[in-house]
Amino acid sequence: MPHLDAAYRYARWLSRPPSDADDVVQEAFLRAFRGFDGLRGVEAKAWLMRIVKNCHETARRQQQRHVYVPLSEEFRAEDEEAMIATTPAPESTSIRRDEERTLDRLMSFLPEEHREVLVLREIEEMGYREIADVTNVPIGTVMSRLARARAALKARCLTEAAGVPHAVR
Amino acid sequence: MLCAETLRVQAYFDGELDALSGVDIERHNEACAECRSLLKQLAEVRTALRQDRRYMIVSPALRARILRKLDEESTRKGALPIGTRRTKWRPHPFWRGAFTGIGGTAIAAGVAFFLTVPPRSNSVSDDLVSAHVRSLMPDHLIDVVSTDKHTVKPWFAGHVDVSPVVADFAPQGYRLVGGRADYFDRQRVAAVVYSHGLHVINVFSWAADGRGVPTNTTRDGYHLAFWKMGDLVYCAVSDTAWDELLELTRLLQDLSAHDNPPMARAAP
Repeated sequence: MPHLDAAYRYARWLSRPPSDADDVVQEAFLRAFRGFDGLRGVEAKAWLMRIVKNCHETARRQQQRHVYVPLSEEFRAEDEEAMIATTPAPESTSIRRDEERTLDRLMSFLPEEHREVLVLREIEEMGYREIADVTNVPIGTVMSRLARARAALKARCLTEAAGVPHAVR
Repeated sequence: MLCAETLRVQAYFDGELDALSGVDIERHNEACAECRSLLKQLAEVRTALRQDRRYMIVSPALRARILRKLDEESTRKGALPIGTRRTKWRPHPFWRGAFTGIGGTAIAAGVAFFLTVPPRSNSVSDDLVSAHVRSLMPDHLIDVVSTDKHTVKPWFAGHVDVSPVVADFAPQGYRLVGGRADYFDRQRVAAVVYSHGLHVINVFSWAADGRGVPTNTTRDGYHLAFWKMGDLVYCAVSDTAWDELLELTRLLQDLSAHDNPPMARAAP
């Protein structure tokens, strides 16, 4: 099921914290399942990624609302239980090796719109046209974001390699 | 400070340039040290990011959770043929019954609805692409999970009308993942599933019926390679590159040349 992993990777790089990715991917697959008709004539992966992106944006909007409308104690307790019952936190399981931490941290310095073009291009190997469709920006913007994201990531690597201390986030 | 060709060098690196523009950039790079170092830098970033791919996979717990949700979803929708073209939808009690018997889950019943959309006779390619895409949805990929051909091949005997060539080509990069029974064009079809890197390749096979073998084609970004061997027509479907797909078809054909010809059982 390569698309499930792809959807998950994309969601993980979009979401902060990355643990939110679980919910985003689940919602995306439910929506994809309901809207299977929309798949005909469209490249499946790009179509699914687009749904992931929409779900991510919906989730973020809801999170922002939560800042202003606190949930009731009862609901929050349920919510916490649900979170415990699902998957172990990515921080405790998948992020073990140093290189992973390093890359996670490096990527976290990039703004979201840079992270997403980078992951779609480099990890999912999608073309400019597909990335433009998924992220809903013109191809030219995809190209300039990619260039900036790559330069920023490289610069960050060099800075750290040179031992320049960086702010702890 | 920045060379004006920066974006075109990047597009060259990403394989987005046509051949002529690519030659332009190669010539430009001979003269431009800045762009040469840019190319090197792009490759370094790519290497660093692609290492990352290994661990970024869905945990079994999340996979199970999503399956459960989809299960609930299809149960809740009950008799609604989710996502099918209703005007063309037609119940097919035998297959629905058989599939439910095998899978026993509501989601299997949901799949059976997909599968019973009657195909147009000239749209075998469309059906194959649909079957391939469907197989990429959660839990639709495989009915029998095994990397052992001696497990997969006998399994087909009980579930489909055909006995296709099955083998594991892991050393060549095509790992046997399992098999699945599929249904279209009014017959049961065997699907052997291989993984190649991050890609899934479905190799469908069905009894040849004298209509000839379709020519290789590309639909919706998926390549379809057809061939005929013995009494069966095969089709490999994937979004891999053409040469990678054709390599697998070659391996399968070589194998069956040394093997007994595959037999079709009583075709309807």
